[in-house]
Amino acid sequence: MKGIRPDVDFENETELIDDGILDSFDVVSIISEIDDAFGVQIRINELDPENFNSAEAIWSLIQKLK
Amino acid sequence: MAFFEFNHIKVAGVACAVPKNEVKTESYKPVFGDEEVDKFMAMTGVKASHRTLEHQTCSDLGYRAACELLAHKGIKPEEIGALLFSSHSPDYRRPSTAFVLQHRLGVPEEAVCYDISLGCSSLVVGMQTMASIMSTSDMKYGLLFVGDTAGKSVNPHDRSSAMLFGEAGAVMLLEKTQNEADQIKALVRSDGSGFKYMIIPGGGYRNLHASEEVVMCADGNERTLMNSFIQGTSVFTFTIFDVPRLIKDFWKQTATGPDDYDCFAFHQANLYILKQIAKKTKIPFERLPITLDRYGNTSGASAIVSLCDVYGAGNDNKTIKVMACGFGIGISLGATSFEINTDDILPIMEDDEIYTEGLITNPNQLYEKK
Repeated sequence: MKGIRPDVDFENETELIDDGILDSFDVVSIISEIDDAFGVQIRINELDPENFNSAEAIWSLIQKLK
Repeated sequence: MAFFEFNHIKVAGVACAVPKNEVKTESYKPVFGDEEVDKFMAMTGVKASHRTLEHQTCSDLGYRAACELLAHKGIKPEEIGALLFSSHSPDYRRPSTAFVLQHRLGVPEEAVCYDISLGCSSLVVGMQTMASIMSTSDMKYGLLFVGDTAGKSVNPHDRSSAMLFGEAGAVMLLEKTQNEADQIKALVRSDGSGFKYMIIPGGGYRNLHASEEVVMCADGNERTLMNSFIQGTSVFTFTIFDVPRLIKDFWKQTATGPDDYDCFAFHQANLYILKQIAKKTKIPFERLPITLDRYGNTSGASAIVSLCDVYGAGNDNKTIKVMACGFGIGISLGATSFEINTDDILPIMEDDEIYTEGLITNPNQLYEKK
């Protein structure tokens, strides 16, 4: 994720979507990278902002879909 | 599975036309801000696009392309057995634009003419439909029109769409031959669960007189019900997963792979999507021509625009193997393969001609004696 948005503090931010830190382009880039890295395809019904508000939430989603 | 294989049918030529008016993406900086526009250009690759005049339509552009292509091939309109207009930008709510083009070109009454209501997948599905018609009839030539003027329905303050779309009309001539090697293959899929991802909600018969009040939408863009809506993240998600799967399935069906094609004429959705598709399918990006930078996302015409851009200027009389792929509104997606001689790929034309006979601004024009 640092490769996509090096300016974002992914370790501490918990409102990545709600505070508008990540936009839709960033989310799509992250989804694509997750597919490449983990073979996990995040589909449209998982596009809940809550799933992308923090690195921890994204990791939980990956674990759930694995 | 909707996999099609047509023998003895070839792509005899392609041509396209764009409007003369070029809009630089940078010109949107006073509206959307420098940062937003710079990020948009980096992500989508769209640095300029061409836009129609108020009453200029996709069929006007296709007409010019068809005239040039038929003249190049030495084929008379009387020889056309089928005319399909595959687009979401008809001249009228009814009748089909195919009839307007038939009349304007002088295609005979014996021809079958109708519209196919599709956007970004219109080339692949249009080819599949035209080849199906030709395979089961005695006709020799079919003329397929594709393209859109999507910019006309975009709210100018919608940052997700205002800078993305270019406008173009393209035409493909299909010919029935005696040659065994002339083949067209197509794999087509549809996913209606995504019908709201790209939509103009008003103006159809569900809500014919929809409100034209401007509403600030949840994604921060202003639109009316008569404007185009794109749910970008949903569309992205569909394209980066489902399109690579379609391409790999097409290769499996045809026992081919990325090394078997000279050119990947893919729908120019946006640069990021095309890079992702190429990465996930291992398509060499140098064989996937990009025209987004100069023409934007030209919907169903974009694959032909790219072919014309790369091969239109040359005349080296070389046969190339093309894989085309279209995907988008519907959701509709498809892949096809065909061969074409590069001499039958015309250069991109610029045209602003309007079919004045078709412009009806007063009902009583319909009652005027000829």
